[in-house]
Formats: sequence, structure tokens, C-alpha cells
Amino acid sequence: MKEISELNFPKELRYAEDHEWTKPQGDTVVVGISDYAQDQLGDIVFVELPQVGDTLAKGGEFGTVESVKAVSELYMPVGGEIVAVNTALEDSPELVNNEPYTGGWMIEVKVPDAGEMDALMARDAYLEFLKG
Amino acid sequence: MKTTLKTPLNAWHAGHGGQMVEFGGWDMPIQYEQGIVQEHLLTRKGAGLFDVSHMGRFAIRGDDALAFLQHVLTNNAAALEVEESQYTLIPNEQGGAIDDAYLYRFDADEFLLVVNASNRDKDWQHLQAQLTKFSMVEIIDQTDVLAMISLQGPKSKQIMLNLIGNGPLPEPMRNQLGRTIINGTAVKIARTGYTGEPICFELFVDRNAVIDLWEAIIAQGAHPVGLGARDTLRLEAGLPLYGHELGEDPEGKEIPIFASSLARFAVSLSDLKANFIGRTALEKQFKAFKRIVNRDFTLIADLPRRILAVALTEKGIARAGYPVFREGKLVGHMTSGTMVPFWEYEGVGIASQRTDKQNRRAIGLALLNSDLYEGDALEVEIRGKLVRAVIVPYHLRSEAPPNARAIPWDRIQMEKAVTIDKQTSRKVTTLLTKAIDNTSWRQERCINLIPSEQTSSTMARLLSIMDPVGRYAEHKPVAAFSDDNVFYYQGTEFIAEVEALLEAELVQFLGCVDVETRLVSGQMANMALFSALVDYINRSDRKREQRRIRKVMNNHIIKGGHLSAQPMGALRDFVARDPKTEKPATINFPVLEHNPFKIDVAACEALIAEHRPELIILGKSMTIHTEPVAAIRQFVDAQGLDCVIMYDMAHVLGLVGPYFQEPFKEGADIVTGSTHKTYFGTQRGIIGSNYAETDPRHELWDAIQRRAFPGSVSNHHLGTLLGLLLAAYEMNHFKDTYQQNVLANAKAFARALSDCGLEVAGDADIDFTETHQVILNVGYAKGPEFAQRLEENNIIVNYQATPLEEGFTASGSLRIGVQEMTRFGMTPKHFQTLAQLFCDVIKKDIFVKDQVVALRQKFLNMQYCFTEQQFEEQVQKLHTFFH
Repeated sequence: MKEISELNFPKELRYAEDHEWTKPQGDTVVVGISDYAQDQLGDIVFVELPQVGDTLAKGGEFGTVESVKAVSELYMPVGGEIVAVNTALEDSPELVNNEPYTGGWMIEVKVPDAGEMDALMARDAYLEFLKG
Repeated sequence: MKTTLKTPLNAWHAGHGGQMVEFGGWDMPIQYEQGIVQEHLLTRKGAGLFDVSHMGRFAIRGDDALAFLQHVLTNNAAALEVEESQYTLIPNEQGGAIDDAYLYRFDADEFLLVVNASNRDKDWQHLQAQLTKFSMVEIIDQTDVLAMISLQGPKSKQIMLNLIGNGPLPEPMRNQLGRTIINGTAVKIARTGYTGEPICFELFVDRNAVIDLWEAIIAQGAHPVGLGARDTLRLEAGLPLYGHELGEDPEGKEIPIFASSLARFAVSLSDLKANFIGRTALEKQFKAFKRIVNRDFTLIADLPRRILAVALTEKGIARAGYPVFREGKLVGHMTSGTMVPFWEYEGVGIASQRTDKQNRRAIGLALLNSDLYEGDALEVEIRGKLVRAVIVPYHLRSEAPPNARAIPWDRIQMEKAVTIDKQTSRKVTTLLTKAIDNTSWRQERCINLIPSEQTSSTMARLLSIMDPVGRYAEHKPVAAFSDDNVFYYQGTEFIAEVEALLEAELVQFLGCVDVETRLVSGQMANMALFSALVDYINRSDRKREQRRIRKVMNNHIIKGGHLSAQPMGALRDFVARDPKTEKPATINFPVLEHNPFKIDVAACEALIAEHRPELIILGKSMTIHTEPVAAIRQFVDAQGLDCVIMYDMAHVLGLVGPYFQEPFKEGADIVTGSTHKTYFGTQRGIIGSNYAETDPRHELWDAIQRRAFPGSVSNHHLGTLLGLLLAAYEMNHFKDTYQQNVLANAKAFARALSDCGLEVAGDADIDFTETHQVILNVGYAKGPEFAQRLEENNIIVNYQATPLEEGFTASGSLRIGVQEMTRFGMTPKHFQTLAQLFCDVIKKDIFVKDQVVALRQKFLNMQYCFTEQQFEEQVQKLHTFFH
């Protein structure tokens, strides 16, 4: 596993304590897991995502990401309706390892309460959180 | 608080990207930088190297060591010869496993028991407690002084060969052991492993030498693999892991040893194990197991659940502990499971090749009710959701070395659909056309070099399809008629005479007393002989169960012995079980270290004295030397053994004579043979016996006749019998020149192949061969590919595994026979031309089919037969029967 200094955390994203990242895109938010999370998990071999149309609250479980050795739950960093899921992860779960912020995106959420984004950490705060 | 233990390689792992975790009290790498998925795939594709020094290693010595091991382990330690190992379990009195283990016997007076790291203390305490029952045993914990690493995967053999230089590897069969020196260090090698890879080596070395050895192996291209991939590999191979498939089940109950499919191999109920720990419980489990195999569930309470392989058939991952349902009822739990990567293969059969395409599948093992079987549909509960699954017989197969192949659930059996043409006239036309094409191809355009094949003369072939081909002529000698034969059918006068004449020609050819001609193949001849011997050895007691042949000495199939002589072939139902090894009681001829194609005659004497075989079978299907008949006869007589010396001359029957060998003169009792390889005949089998009428053993000859008819045949194929008589005339007439020319051609061909840079097996000093065969080494596992390439060039040979190879799919040589082309008139200089064409195909991959065809076209007229001109009128008459 890598040192934190070797990992990548794009400045424009916001991060949850459970290591999901969010990227605002107009009135929706794209969600995935951070480079730290994928590095900790190891080779990801299976991703289970919700259905388009599901509505979940902040903190609710929206799926699982599985490595060879373990299952990890995924939690909504913000609440809302799922408007898109990354179906590419079905055949290529390794995208989460290789491109956690681009090809490995997981869900797109329509967020009614934009205030929930403020509760998430900016990049530097997330780095502090990881080191602490 | 116990500190975590470290193997001698700990710093290497940490310094090379190893992610260290605690396992069984040890600080071990779960993976390296490449990750579990890649480490798994690299092992299956190339070679993976595992540090397994955390496992417990106990040396057991002393006069009572064997008795002790018989008492505390489930397997039969007495069955281990020196340089053999076996999978075994440490049982408790309830028939559960304290641990599973491997027992190695590198030396005559010391055993090495390797146990799981997590159970080392528990196993040690248990064994110490059991020691009190025995006086002359000592156990020494060698875990800290002896390191152990494991090299697994298709490339691992080449890596080992590169490291040991000219040193030998252990025999190419699982569980065989050996020792060698690598870079000045003594290394013990075992062909064992925990990955399902057929090419596998576990290495034991002094702890101070293991880092250098490890680095030397890495330098050769092996990839370090951690515990994560070790687990996915063993799961794919269906191997149990203590704590999952052995020990406690997901509900906390003890798993009976017989729940594991490996118990059949790991548990012995031999008398040699007396009242070993857990015997009573294991006997009960075994009884229940045998009934369950028969779908009889009357004793299911003694073995309520078994470990079976399970594959998910829809998306998800089934993991240890997940409940399993069938038709709504809970039937068990997963014991292990995850998503496992595999390589896709493309192509069919032996030509199938690994692609570079990776895939993944969710597979596992589960402890399920014993009334469930392969193919049963299941549902696994994954976080509240039911996901479909199926019971499969296996996830991976290892019997096609050098690769282990993943078998996904939907590819277990590839059924080839054969469509039947509904239009009769079209299918008849197709058949006739294809038969014509095939005959034309083989007879006019191919150079046929398969050692077990021949073309018989036109005259012999025409005779084979004359009227007798549809008739019967069963007959038996009847004592009431002074042993004259009584025939059961009418119209048999002609064929009766033919058979008698054939016997006379063969008696003259072989130089023996009697010949049985009613067998229709060489293997059938062997089976009739084995059956006759069983009949003969029981002749004084016909009431009891007839005992089998106590011990047989033969050439092992790996060393070129024929199927007939192996327990897995025709010998199976005639050879007794050895109570010590619990395997068929055969002892193999030892071979010379520098020439595995030649029997080590000197070493035979001691073996014969020790094992006192009742039957000795000489003869091979991959053969380039004479057999030491005279020497064996001498050893047998010197020891006063009551033994039948038999020579299965299948391949070399046509060479019997002064230029090859004369087995009856050398002291053989029996000769069996195929009449259609070097001998000119139609395809049949014969048994020759040299027991004089006055010899008390002559009763064996009587038994041979009975086991031929009615034992083996009812109809003895009179068409080929008639053809064979003509062939026997040809043989006796032309043998002198034919035999010399076959041998001269074989030597010339071998020499020419060697001269153009190919590797010919055998002794160069005698021009490589003493028979009709030439064996060409083309590289490990390259045989099938080159045989196919040669066929595309109209040269027909067959691929063959040498004594160094693990199985026929890893065949590294081509087997060639010159007998058929000699019969068509090829001479040494033509074989030299042919050798050049061989070279072009094998070394340069040049397409030479046209030249091969041109060469064959010069040899379309068969020699060594009665030319039709001499007998033209009668041959014409034969032809007229077929219009």
C-alpha cells in the first residue's frame, strides 16, 4: 500500500469521512471513492451499484465494492435520486483502482439539498483527516 | 504477549513491496505491489514463488517412528517408499481434523511432517502427548532451522533446470521427492504444492541459504506471491484450508474428515495402522460415504454434509459463512469463496492455447447436505439477496501439464453435436468419397511413420475380405477326443485348415512350442494371458474367490511401457493390491540414469530378489533397445522363483530373429504380439508359449487357450485370420532382408536427423536405435505442435511423452517408425532425404508438402510381398468377387 504522499486527491473535489468523493456537475453530483480507498482495498473485483431512480438519504448504503479479501459498503455522501450509474464497472471493476476519479466514477445523484455538500471536506481537510 | 514470528525472508518481503500482515502468529506478505489478481494470474501463466517457511516442520526419527506416525496420522505411512510423500491429516478421536498436513520421506530413517502455521503449537502439544505411548521416537521441531519455499506454475520446471544445471529433478509425478545442489547449497525438492499447478516444486533448504536461493529463483523470472493469491489459487484448485473446510464449520460444529473429497486419498484403514486415533469414527464416516456415493442415504447421519465446489451463475460474490439454499430450504454454508481471476483458453482439445485475455468468476467451496450432487441448482444468500449458483465437479483441472486450466461452470463439457444427414444417398456418397480421399491421401501422398502401423499387401487385404469375413468358426479342444478340436459351426473345414497352418508358420517364425491365434489385438492377447495366469495360479482351488497375481514387474508407462501392462490399462483386474502401499502390486523396471530408454539390468537383480514377482512383463511401446530377456531369466532361475517371463513384443514382433533378438532362445516363457506393426499382418494379436507338453507349466498353455476362447472372443474375426496366414508366408519368406533393412533404415534415419542438428534420443554410439523406432526430442510440451505441423506437410508421426515429462499433453518428443516405408522400398539414402525434409519443417518451419508427396510417389509399390505377376490369374479371380 502506498504512502499518503504518493496518492492523488484532486483539489476540486470534496471528500467524505468514508472516503467517497463528490464532484458537482450542475444540479447533479458525481460520486466515487478516493485513491486512498482503492489503495487500501487492493484489487477490486466486483462493484454493486443501485438502480437508476432509487432515492437514498445521506449516509445510506448505496452499494458495495468488493476486493478479493473483503466487502466494503458505500455510503451516500449526499442524499438524492440516482440519475446514472457507471455500468462499465460491471465488466471492468479494476477501473476503480486505475482511474478512481474518472473512469471509476460510480453514481450520479440529483441533490435537492446543496447544503449537504458543505459538510464534506475539501482536499486539504481530507488529507489532514487521513494523516491524523 | 507473543511477538509475531518472522521467516528468514521477512526483510526481503518488506523491502520488495510486500504488504505485511499477521497470519498464524507470523508476519507474512499478503501481497506485493502487483496485487492478488496479478499474482494469481502470473502463477498460472509463468511461475509464482511463495515463502511457506511459516508452516511447521517436524522431523520424526527412531525405530518406532513408523508406528507412531501410523497412530497419529490418517494416511498409511508404511506405503511411503524413500523419496515419496503423501497428503495426510492429524485426526482426533471423533473423526475430525486437528490439522491437515503433508508427510515427506526423503530418507529411509527420517520422516518430515509439515503442518499449518496456525496449528503448529496445537499439533506439537498433541503429538507430544501421544509420544508417551511409544518409546523409540523423537520429534524435532525444525521450523526455525529448515526454510521452505514453493515454486509453482508452467515455467517453474525450466527455472529449476536452469538452476540445477545437469542435476536430476525428482521423477515427473506428484509426490515424488529428490535432492540436488543449487549454487553449492543442498536442496531437498518435492513435487508437491497447494495451487493445483501440475508443474510444482516445494524446496527445503537450510535457513541461512534460503535468501540466496529465493533471489536466484526470482532472477530466473519467478514472481513473488503472497498469502492472498495463495488462497485464491488453492480455492480454484478445490483444496481445503484448515479453519474453513476442516476444523469448525460456519455453524461452529466439527467437520468430519470424510466431508472432504481428499479424504479418500488421505485416510487409510489398512491393518498396518492398527487402532489409530479416530479409526472407529472414520470407519463409520467411510461406510456412510460409500453409501452416499451410491445415492443410498441410510447412514447419512454419520456424514450429514460434504464439501462441494460451487459456482455462482449470476452476478455477485459468495463468501465464507454465507448460507446456501436449495428450493427454499437451507442446505449448508459456504466455507470459502471469492472472485477469482483466470486466463481464457481458445481452441479445441490438445491444441487449445492460453490467450492473453483475463476473466473473473465467483467460485467457492461449501459444506452442503450429503444428498446433493453435481449439477444441483442452489441459491446463496448474499447480504439478504438470493443469488443463483450450481454445484460443479471442479473449478480447475491439472491433468494436462504443463498448465492448470480453469473450467468455468458453463464449460464443463463441450458436447460436439453430430448432425445426421437425412438424405441417405447423399450421406452414402459423402462416406464413399471421403473414404476414397482418405485412402488416397495416406497411401499415395503421405510418408507414414507411426511405429505401430503398417500396410498389408494387396493379396493379404483381398483375402481378408473373402467369404470367411462374415463367418464363425468357434472351436475347443476336447479331452474326450484326445484333445482334437471340436468346431461348433458348419462350413468350417477351410478356415480350420487356415488356422492350423497359421499356427505352424508362427511356431516356426517364433521358435516356440505353441501359438494361440484367435485374439484380435495385441492388448487382447495380453489380457487373455493375464486371465490365463490368474486361472492357472488358482487351479487347485476353484471354490474360493480366485486370487490375483501377487506381484508384477513391468515397464512403467512413463518409461515407454505399454498400456496393457499397466494397472490403469489391461492389467487392472488381474493384479492384486499390495497391502503395504494399498495400490496395485507392480514394481517397475529401473532404468539407466543417462539413458532412460534402457533397463538398468544390474539393479534388476536386487529388485527381483526383494519383490519376487509372479509375472514379469518385458516389452514397450516406446522402444529403441532390445529387452534383457536372458539376464532376467538368469536372475529368476538363480533365485528359484516361480515366475512367468513374458515379452510383449507388440512393436517388434516382425523383428524376431538374429538381427534383433530371439526371445524364446533367451529364455522367455511367453511372447505376445500385435501382428500389424513390424509384422506384416492384418490387425490381430497372438500368444506364443514355450512350455513343452511335459512341463508341468503346460497347464498355463491350456488356460491360455480357454481364456482366448471362450474367455476373450466368440467370433475370432476370420477375415483377418485368413489375411494373416498370407502375411505369415510373406514374413517367413522375406524376413531376412526385411529385418536387416528395417534396422539399417532406422539407424540411417536417426543418424541423419542427428547430423542435421536435431536431438535424437538414445545412444549415439550404436546409431541411437536397435529397433524400428527413432525418438526425436523437440522440446518440452512441443510434441503435439510439431506432430501437427508435420501432418500438414504429409508426414505422419505421433507425439510422445519422454520419461522426463509429466503427462502426454506435455509431450516433448516425436515417435517415428520406419517399418511401413521400408516395406514400400525406402532405403537409407531415401531416409536421409526425408531427414532433411524433417529438419526443414521442424527447424525452419518451411512448407515442404509438395516434396514429401513427390518422395512418396516413388514408393507406391510394396516390396517384401508376392508380386501379383507371379499369381496374376488367381489375384484376378479374387478381384472378381467384388463387382
